[in-house]
Amino acid sequence: MPKVKKHRVGFAVDMTPLVDVTFLLLTFFMFTAKFKSESENEQKFQIKRPQASADTSKLPDKNLAVIKVAIDTVANDTAYYYAILNETDRQSVYQKMNFTSEMMLKSQVKANIDDLDKLILQTRVANYKTSFAIECDRRIRYKWIEDLMDVMRKRNATIFKFVTEKKSGGS
Amino acid sequence: MAGGGGGMEVPQRVKRGSKAHKRKKKKRLGFRLDMTPLVDVAFLLLTFFMYTTSMITPQIMEMTIPKDIDVDVQVDENKLFTLQIRNDGKVYYNIAKDDPVVIDTANLRQKAVELNLLGKAKNELITAFKADTEAPFGMVVAVLDILNQAEGEITLQLSKEGVKRKRKFAIVKMEPEDQAKLRGL
Repeated sequence: MPKVKKHRVGFAVDMTPLVDVTFLLLTFFMFTAKFKSESENEQKFQIKRPQASADTSKLPDKNLAVIKVAIDTVANDTAYYYAILNETDRQSVYQKMNFTSEMMLKSQVKANIDDLDKLILQTRVANYKTSFAIECDRRIRYKWIEDLMDVMRKRNATIFKFVTEKKSGGS
Repeated sequence: MAGGGGGMEVPQRVKRGSKAHKRKKKKRLGFRLDMTPLVDVAFLLLTFFMYTTSMITPQIMEMTIPKDIDVDVQVDENKLFTLQIRNDGKVYYNIAKDDPVVIDTANLRQKAVELNLLGKAKNELITAFKADTEAPFGMVVAVLDILNQAEGEITLQLSKEGVKRKRKFAIVKMEPEDQAKLRGL
């Protein structure tokens, strides 16, 4: 006798654990996500930070001025960029620099070494507590840093930070 | 529907009553919610956040450079440990006025510890660091990082002996003759 074939009418899977885990992960990623800052959004380059061994010290998020040395991917040209995180400090520094109204809106400005000299001086005048960070691409020639350090020494900004990245693999 | 008219009320009541008797009372056993759209959206957001989050957070390396001074500082050359980076990223070292010798970055830490602890100039060694203007910045940071690591080890060793560590380190500008000499090696 042939068996009577049961007709399958689909089946239901209990999705509850799946949803639980998904939402758990979702909340985790949502809380850990850090969005790009305003100045990073404007820039046309990406900095490959130099690698160093693991360190727990992090960049301060107050009273910080970042000097970036990067290779512009479009123009293929190395340049200094200057960004002050604090809005009020930034405005007062820009005013002292006699920037155009268009420049005033930018959170990050491209600068040559002479501009940088003035910018660092004005930043220190505006807020003496400002700490400086140098974010430089690891492929850039040391000359750029040497010149920059000369300027910083001249302006008495002798304590600064190099922005690095945790070395992948190894100690 | 409530204001259907007075005349209708009586038969309606009768009808309702009779129907209630006929109807089987359904027992509620919870309900099913279609979770598919919810899961869709959740996964979409999850993948978005997973792709946009970068797990590498920047860290920092503290630097202190000496203030601008006009006075030349005299140093004992015998206690001088010079570390140089050539334009191709190779690291050279020499003690006092010896000729620079190439050193692999993997051995550099050990060497720095040895020289600071076992050499004649124990705890008095002055480290001078020079980098060629053409050397990649990544290499400079790598060497500084190794020296920092060595420093931790030296301080630990010395503290076991009850000696306070005095770090003497300076980033020095590479003179053109040094540069030419290194490139010729």
